Amino acid sequence: METATHQGPPTAGFADHRAVVVAVDHHPWPYFTVTLEVPFANGEQKFANCTPGQFVMTLAEFGLEPYLRRAFSVFDIRTDANTTQIEIFGKVIGLGTEGLARLEPGKEVPLLGPLGQGFTRSASPTVKPSALIAGGIGSAALLLWARALLEQGEAFDFYYGGYAACDLALSERFEELARASGGELICATESGHRGHHGYITEPLEQALAQGRYGALYTCGPEGLMAKVAALGSQYQVPGQAALETEMGCGYGACLGCAVAHQDGRFRLCCKDGPVFALDEVVW
Amino acid sequence: MSTVDLSVKVGPLELANPVLSASGTFGYGLEFAPLTRLERFGGLVTKGLSLEPLRGNPAPRIFETRGGMLNSIGLQNIGIEAFLSDVLPGLADFPPKVVVNLFGYEREDYSTLAARVDAVEHVAAVELNVSCPNVKRGGIQFGHDPGQLEELVASVRKATSKPLIVKLSPNVTSPVALGKAARDGGADILSAINTVIGMAIDTRTRRPRLHTIKGGLSGPAIRPVAVRIVYDVAREVGLPVIGIGGAETADDVLEFMLAGASAVQIGTALFRDPMQPNRILQDLEQRLVSEGVGSVRELIGAINIE
Ligand SMILES: Cc1cc2nc3c(=O)[nH]c(=O)nc-3n(C[C@H](O)[C@H](O)[C@H](O)COP(=O)(O)OP(=O)(O)OC[C@H]3O[C@@H](n4cnc5c(N)ncnc54)[C@H](O)[C@@H]3O)c2cc1C
Ligand SMILES: Cc1cc2nc3c(=O)[nH]c(=O)nc-3n(C[C@H](O)[C@H](O)[C@H](O)COP(=O)(O)O)c2cc1C
Ligand code: FES
Repeated sequence: METATHQGPPTAGFADHRAVVVAVDHHPWPYFTVTLEVPFANGEQKFANCTPGQFVMTLAEFGLEPYLRRAFSVFDIRTDANTTQIEIFGKVIGLGTEGLARLEPGKEVPLLGPLGQGFTRSASPTVKPSALIAGGIGSAALLLWARALLEQGEAFDFYYGGYAACDLALSERFEELARASGGELICATESGHRGHHGYITEPLEQALAQGRYGALYTCGPEGLMAKVAALGSQYQVPGQAALETEMGCGYGACLGCAVAHQDGRFRLCCKDGPVFALDEVVW
Repeated sequence: MSTVDLSVKVGPLELANPVLSASGTFGYGLEFAPLTRLERFGGLVTKGLSLEPLRGNPAPRIFETRGGMLNSIGLQNIGIEAFLSDVLPGLADFPPKVVVNLFGYEREDYSTLAARVDAVEHVAAVELNVSCPNVKRGGIQFGHDPGQLEELVASVRKATSKPLIVKLSPNVTSPVALGKAARDGGADILSAINTVIGMAIDTRTRRPRLHTIKGGLSGPAIRPVAVRIVYDVAREVGLPVIGIGGAETADDVLEFMLAGASAVQIGTALFRDPMQPNRILQDLEQRLVSEGVGSVRELIGAINIE
């Protein structure tokens, strides 16, 4: 399918690609990763302009239920001589995610993307490290951003919270990046089976009280992101959140994904987000 | 090259083919530019436009249901002036006809809007969304009361000489009676249907799925309702009809046309696949060739009910 140029530069070059499933892995159920391969067209690399925090719209199969595509963060990207591999990290919560988890290698799926506006630096690189805070599957939006910070020589701690130990899926991938940057992985579970017993925002608050961080980047359940925003404002640390508002289309056509902002206006999660400044959003 | 003629005349509105985008499901047209070949469409219907910009309803605004979705966008739009100055010039290069969808909360809103676009060259037709509460009449929707609808259409008719389309609500006992009222007010074309009022509840939280509790159902789930209304209205009102409601494939377009539609708008199906109209047109041509039909116009109202 051809790629045409979009109006504004930030989302330039999104297109509906035909992607081929190359791997489906379970980490364990209900967490899974699907690796999709998008061949170059006429030597042109796909998703070359994809930035951390951007997302794709996909569906295992066009049927009556689920009917609309589902949004997924671009978890990871790899490029070789003539294909781009897009990795999606998902959690089965309904039919759409279940369909993806049950995909088999070789199957073709539609892949619309890359969409939206990703993370940008909230604070100019300072002596202070950043904190990345993930609640469960929200971690999917943060891997590429973690790597981008690492590549720019910026240290960060990765906070990973969930209900049980199994909800901190793929924690080793985040830990590796955090350590390489000079930071660490900090875990919390409500069940108490791994890391801090309680909410992940509790160890975060302790560190903020000591003035440890220069910026906060988060993705997860709304309650978690709201708490991070409150802490950011209390300790005067700027930051951003990747929102997961329910979407109809993913590219600005249905106006279904409104996010209320402090200025009294709505922004579209799919076009103006999904990443917004913590202090812009009405939590 | 095929020899099939896909062009249609919908009353005074001439289209290169019978496939249009439905209001509110295609943004203002430009959102799709990277994804689809706009020039293939017969027409684009804009998001509903009002005199002033509207911010719309709080989230959640959409909820997917089996074979469709509920929405309560709340008619969020950039307002007529921003549309005319910022968006329409970008659409002028595209061959598809641009239909502006208009709505208001008082009769005068509609006629003011219609007058505003009357002299605008790239506006091919006006479609009235009458599924809005009339604030001066206790909030009864314009499209739910024949007397009120006829008055509304008559005042818009005075304000513009553009082809005038009135979009019928399915949420009434007799869409035919409303269609006749629109005709008597001076409408050229009827389009049917707008969304079907529906509701869904999250049984775990016991909360409604939409912020507004109720919303409009669209998608394949409503197609049989839409086909029935198109069939009734086309036979009994005597105006050309544009079919809307759950159309996704060339077969669906043919079904609407056999029921009496002269053209068909594609809505919700675009959300999951913006290339769908291109595919529909391809399949439609093939289908007509294989059935030896020379012009798609031959199929309008050609249902066989022996
Ligand atoms: C920008 C964006 C990025 C996303 N990235 C990822 C990702 O990387 N990995 C991933 O697993 N998921 C991600 N999601 C969420 C994913 O799209 C949803 O999990 C999916 O829509 C649910 O589809 P489903 O058919 O499995 O469940 P459904 O049958 O649609 O929903 C099952 C239940 O979950 C509720 N629900 C639906 N969507 C959400 C949601 N977003 N949050 C909380 N509850 C919800 C529904 O109301 C319903 O009760 C993202 C969403 C957005 C908007
Ligand atoms: C998200 C959404 C927004 C809509 N907005 C409008 C609108 O602004 N004006 C209007 O007349 N109809 C609007 N509609 C109704 C559609 O134009 C169409 O009548 C309806 O969705 C049925 O067609 P479909 O099943 O093909 O979507 C909207 C529908 C949806 C799903
Ligand atoms: S999801 Fe359709 S406008 Fe954002």
